[in-house]
Amino acid sequence: MSLKRRLTDRIFWVVCGVAFLLIAAPSISVLVSVFHQAVPALGWQLFSHRTNAKATGLQNAILGSLILLGGVLVVAGSVGVAAGIYLAEYATGRTEKLLRFFSEILAGMPSIVIGYIAYLTLVVQFHWGYSLLAAVIALSALVLPYIVKTTEVALRQVPTAIREAGAGLGMPRTATLTRMLLPTALPGIVSGLIVALAISTGELAPLLFTAGFTDTNPKLQLLHQQVPYLTNVIYTDISLPGSRAHATAAAAGLLSLLLLVILITAGRLVARRARRQTARMSL
Amino acid sequence: MTSVAERPAGRTASGLSARARAISELTGRDRAVRAVLFVAALVPTAALAFLVYEMIKQAYPAIIFNGWSFFTTKKFTMGNLYGNVVVKHGYQAAQGADFGVLPLLFGTLVSSLIALVLAVPVAVGGAILLVEKVPARLQGALGVFLELLAGIPSIVFGLWGIYTFGPLLSRTVYRWIAALGIPWLSGSTGAGEGLLTASVVLAVMIIPIVASIARELVRSVPAVSKEGAVALGLTPTETIRFVTIPYVRTGLIAAAVLGWARALGETIAVLVISGDALNIYPHSIFDPFSTMAATIAAFLDSALTDSTGMAIHALAEVGLVLLAVTFLTNLGGRLLARRFSDAGLPVGRGV
Amino acid sequence: MPEPSTQVSYSRPVPEAGGAAQAAPEVVDAVFDIADLNFWYGANRALRDVSLRIGRQEITALIGPSGCGKTTFLRCLNRMNDLLPDTRIEGRLDFDGEPLYRPGVQAIEIRRRIGMVFQKPNPFPKSIYDNVAIAPKVNGMKVNLDDLVEESLSRAALWNEVKDKLKQSAFSLSGGQQQRLCIARTIAVKPEVILMDEPCSALDPLATIRIEELMTELKSDYTIVIVTHNMQQAARVSDRTAFFTVEDHPEGRSGVLVESGPTHKIFTAPSDQRTDDYITGRFG
Repeated sequence: MSLKRRLTDRIFWVVCGVAFLLIAAPSISVLVSVFHQAVPALGWQLFSHRTNAKATGLQNAILGSLILLGGVLVVAGSVGVAAGIYLAEYATGRTEKLLRFFSEILAGMPSIVIGYIAYLTLVVQFHWGYSLLAAVIALSALVLPYIVKTTEVALRQVPTAIREAGAGLGMPRTATLTRMLLPTALPGIVSGLIVALAISTGELAPLLFTAGFTDTNPKLQLLHQQVPYLTNVIYTDISLPGSRAHATAAAAGLLSLLLLVILITAGRLVARRARRQTARMSL
Repeated sequence: MTSVAERPAGRTASGLSARARAISELTGRDRAVRAVLFVAALVPTAALAFLVYEMIKQAYPAIIFNGWSFFTTKKFTMGNLYGNVVVKHGYQAAQGADFGVLPLLFGTLVSSLIALVLAVPVAVGGAILLVEKVPARLQGALGVFLELLAGIPSIVFGLWGIYTFGPLLSRTVYRWIAALGIPWLSGSTGAGEGLLTASVVLAVMIIPIVASIARELVRSVPAVSKEGAVALGLTPTETIRFVTIPYVRTGLIAAAVLGWARALGETIAVLVISGDALNIYPHSIFDPFSTMAATIAAFLDSALTDSTGMAIHALAEVGLVLLAVTFLTNLGGRLLARRFSDAGLPVGRGV
Repeated sequence: MPEPSTQVSYSRPVPEAGGAAQAAPEVVDAVFDIADLNFWYGANRALRDVSLRIGRQEITALIGPSGCGKTTFLRCLNRMNDLLPDTRIEGRLDFDGEPLYRPGVQAIEIRRRIGMVFQKPNPFPKSIYDNVAIAPKVNGMKVNLDDLVEESLSRAALWNEVKDKLKQSAFSLSGGQQQRLCIARTIAVKPEVILMDEPCSALDPLATIRIEELMTELKSDYTIVIVTHNMQQAARVSDRTAFFTVEDHPEGRSGVLVESGPTHKIFTAPSDQRTDDYITGRFG
């Protein structure tokens, strides 16, 4: 082997190593700087107190974020899973292609555009005001395509033999779907839902003009009641003067990340179960 | 015995359920379930139609009011919102209002393209290293790490860019670049706000997205194909060049387009880092600038105080251009991916 | 016309008259000289004390039931197993009189000299031309690439079918054509040995016959070692046959070499009862 080839090989791996460092270093820097800035605000008061000018509580924002996630799960989850089932199991020909195409286009919709339209229509035109419903709908429009896609993919990975077995036993389509297909595809569907929640956790642009903010705890009221949430705290508190506000902002960021880690871990566990299931079926 | 290789690659998924669909007869209950599911399946399409319709409706007065000057005017200003009202083409606007999308379009395209050019090689190189050199038992943890990075809220990236990364860059790398004296790459490097910092932060934001897809793609290259190259006496690098990269090229294009779309539409991080120059052209890569998405977010509040309503309409027109750019990017990526897959190569698995 | 390869037969496949029957009882000129070779995947000893000499410009067939280690053995011969994590090799494995696993021997150079054709056709995701030209090019071979591509494709009996579409993707070819392309790609770098790991298992009977004819032609220039599950194939094409089987040992299952010799002898008068059982189809 010539020196040139050996050298090229060596250089290539060095370049890849540098690329890896360029991924790792900024990322670690982000995580470390968030943690570092959040340290002064860390404590139980984050969970026991609400946001206000004097303390570093985040109770209302945490509750609000969780309620928003719950709302997304209900709205985008139900619609998205149903749509995914239709695309995988019922749609044919041009309908199938068009519905999937438009869903993918929606996936590329900039979140600020969704927020802007949600604001002009839901908040202003419909007189809902800054509200839970407007926020949940805006977020749902954002994550819906992901849920549709993952549900469809999960169902397509169920072997045809299972559908044929259902039909062969004389089971109605719906029974085949609920008894055989969905249980098999469930882990895949759930991990798609978790990805959607993870995306929702980090979003701010579609919420900025739909959710509003309040220092009180959120109520389970759909309209005319503003909803506090974590990413908003980061955005607003960082522009306030004073180290306490900045530490609160960083703590809100840290909690968002924590929520994200929980969601990702849950997603991994579910996905691992899904893989084991697929492996069993292909035997 | 049929040859596995003779089956057209990548076509199995849609053919899979066609046979099963035809198998069972539908009962009345089945039909009802199907109807409900169909309605749900219409929702994404309906949502898209609603969004596009509302954007056009909102933007229409501005389209008439601005005419072609929307694409030639080099500033975006809402005018004196408490002053007199002017009328043009039958529509009212605040005096001094001058809406041009050009600086915003420029900022959007340049920042996202710089981000893309920085991110794709880094993401692909890193992904190759992860797959080929990292032991199997660490792979899971690295996957979680990449997912976590992809999920970091953009506001967190924004703050990191403005407080940590931007100042660091401006003290070091930017000085070196500026010292070269290349037009557009020189001048005051400022405190680290502006076009280049925003682009670099955008790159950092889209790297995990591109890298995690690239990693899945590289992992999906069949071992038997790579062994073919190894058995010919090719080095690992040559194997990657002649087997892995051609295999994953289509998928990589899709991943790059996905990352680009994310950078095009990114709002909050750019808003924080852009340096708040919302209506001017940057004169150097270190200057403040703005993007279409960031402008919508930044101006929406004050636009509401425009009694003529034209500021709101103009923002909708900006949004419409953003939509068009995003859509074209998407379409271009699809066409590009199809062109490469026409060569009969296996179509990007895992995306 | 040979029998279709898929036929299940309980009769003894008879080697064809000709070269195969005339192999000398012992290997005179050995390309590979292997003695007491052991191979481990982790704690599992996949090969146990294998000793075998592989003759120059002969076709040696490795046969035996699934899991007997014949593919593992084949992959030891061009150091393909180096790529697998947590493996270990012990014993003597000389190639052209030099220890193959001696420190300092470059596996990459070894693999150029010892080519390999795989179970499934695995062309590069590139054009037909590139598939043949890439390896000579990166190896810096001082030849006219166009000539080399034509020569290699001709030797692989593929030239006439592809000469008008060299720029097309290799994936546009049928499975049998892809496998011949892989053979062309292998001989383009002028190897001394070609290892074949069940090269016909993914092919239909007609494509199988073409590859077998090709092997017989290539024999004049190359040493060929082929792993096959197909008794008839081994009987038809090989000069020598080595029969491997699985043995249960206290520490796990291992592949062992039962016997080797001229194909004619192995198929008509094996010295070990296990060989006879396997060849006549009374095994497993």
